[in-house]
Amino acid sequence: MSSISLADQLDDAIEMMIAEPDSAPPKVDLRIGELLGIAAELRLLPDPAFRAALRVELLGQNSPAPAAVYNDLRIAAEPEVPRRHQRNDAILPTLFGAGYGNYPFHRGNIAVSLAIHAAAIAVIAVAGWWVGDNSRGAIPTGGDIFVMEVVPNALPVDARKGGGGGGGNNAIPASKGALPRFANEQLTPPTIVVRSEPPKLAVDPTLVGPPVLTMPSTSEIGNPLSNILSVPSTGNGSGGGIGDGDGAGFGPGSGSGMGGGPYRVGGGVSAPRAIYDPDPEYSDEARQAKFQGTVVLWAVVGVDGRAKGIRVVRSLGMGLDEKAIAAVGGWKFEPGRKGGVPVPVQVTIEVSFRLL
Amino acid sequence: MKALDSLNLEDGNDERLLVEAARQDPAYFAELYENNFERVYAYVARRVRDREDAQDLTSEVFHKALAGLPRFEWRGLPFVAWLLGIASNVLSDRWQLKAQHKDAGSEEVEEVGVEDDVERRAMLYQLVNLLPADQRQVILWRFVEQKSLREIAVTLGRSEGAIKQLQLRALQNLRQQMGSNHV
Repeated sequence: MSSISLADQLDDAIEMMIAEPDSAPPKVDLRIGELLGIAAELRLLPDPAFRAALRVELLGQNSPAPAAVYNDLRIAAEPEVPRRHQRNDAILPTLFGAGYGNYPFHRGNIAVSLAIHAAAIAVIAVAGWWVGDNSRGAIPTGGDIFVMEVVPNALPVDARKGGGGGGGNNAIPASKGALPRFANEQLTPPTIVVRSEPPKLAVDPTLVGPPVLTMPSTSEIGNPLSNILSVPSTGNGSGGGIGDGDGAGFGPGSGSGMGGGPYRVGGGVSAPRAIYDPDPEYSDEARQAKFQGTVVLWAVVGVDGRAKGIRVVRSLGMGLDEKAIAAVGGWKFEPGRKGGVPVPVQVTIEVSFRLL
Repeated sequence: MKALDSLNLEDGNDERLLVEAARQDPAYFAELYENNFERVYAYVARRVRDREDAQDLTSEVFHKALAGLPRFEWRGLPFVAWLLGIASNVLSDRWQLKAQHKDAGSEEVEEVGVEDDVERRAMLYQLVNLLPADQRQVILWRFVEQKSLREIAVTLGRSEGAIKQLQLRALQNLRQQMGSNHV
């Protein structure tokens, strides 16, 4: 009987055994019968995940590894207690000491190890070169362990608002008044509270935003929606705009233009793309429990290509949420753009943790 | 117990040291757990013949052992004998509980050669962990998760024929190792 037909016959018998565990064993070749006996005993093989989880349950995450325990005890033991593992020149000690197990020494293993290391170094070098040449490429996925993707959320066009700006770090919100005209570049931020002499070359104050935006004009500069009439102020924010946001626009958000927050993808706003996304680390607890899943995060990718304000939308627990946040916080993105200009864009990011 | 000499810590002095250390600091229970998990599990599984039940009861045995460790006295017997005593009590409690609700069935019947069978199974479970990674993965998916060959083939990106061959080689390896480890 060839090994192929042997494998077929064995699998048919195993399939039947799994499907109908109480049925009588099928009549098979003697060699198959012996293997089938082992297979029958494997039906109750303990789940490794259970084994690991029970250990964590009993001892917590910080229980010492078996080899460490054994070595600790050896140090503490009296000198006359014989060592379990005697020195043997034909045995290569483990990386973590001679306490837990030794592997037979084979010259071939050394050669294979060298070859694998050389190949790994070559892969790293080529990958570095490739990344350098393709830094604006598509979103890379993780390595063998993790699969990651950035999934910008999609909202109706009418919900895609963005922009906003901040004032001059004043103690009170912006006072009532007319907005200055919008321009692509801000030379003079709006000044309501005059703190210096007028400049020799006067330039009209502007907010950064599409120049086509126009607002009703009055004599005083300020927030047209404000109730504050008596005390002049550009608002609590910063960045040279008007409002309590951060930037040179108008409103409670950040960046330029008018509005209440970062942009959303669509309607002429492109999605940010991850150009540097190292794999997140696995938490010890999750690794021991062989825990897998996906953490969903929400973040704003700023014009500097960094994710800010990261929040957990779907949690996994076991320390993986923190690992995902830490990883995404270190990622570098090509920022989203509107009309070719980088803008802050909010995205949802899925970080998957998979063990192979 | 002899059958597992090559796989486990069996030296009485070593084990006594471990037990003493674990009595002082429960963190040292880890080594005792690693050394005895398969035998306790095999002992329980041999009697309940169901993975879920066996895992629940094994968990209960180790929890009781950890809680009772300060009261353990070394009397020259292997530590696993104490664990199996706890397992026996846990099983007995379970059967009594079941008997209150319905007929306990044939689970209580002790069969001749059970001890040898437990040792053989414990060794088999440990040997699975020593298989080459791809063979071990196929065995775990096939028997623990009961995936079909097709599912495994798709997951690993290989043909069904290749998976069948891996399964065959894994079982042949286990048979060979069982033969060479048995005294």
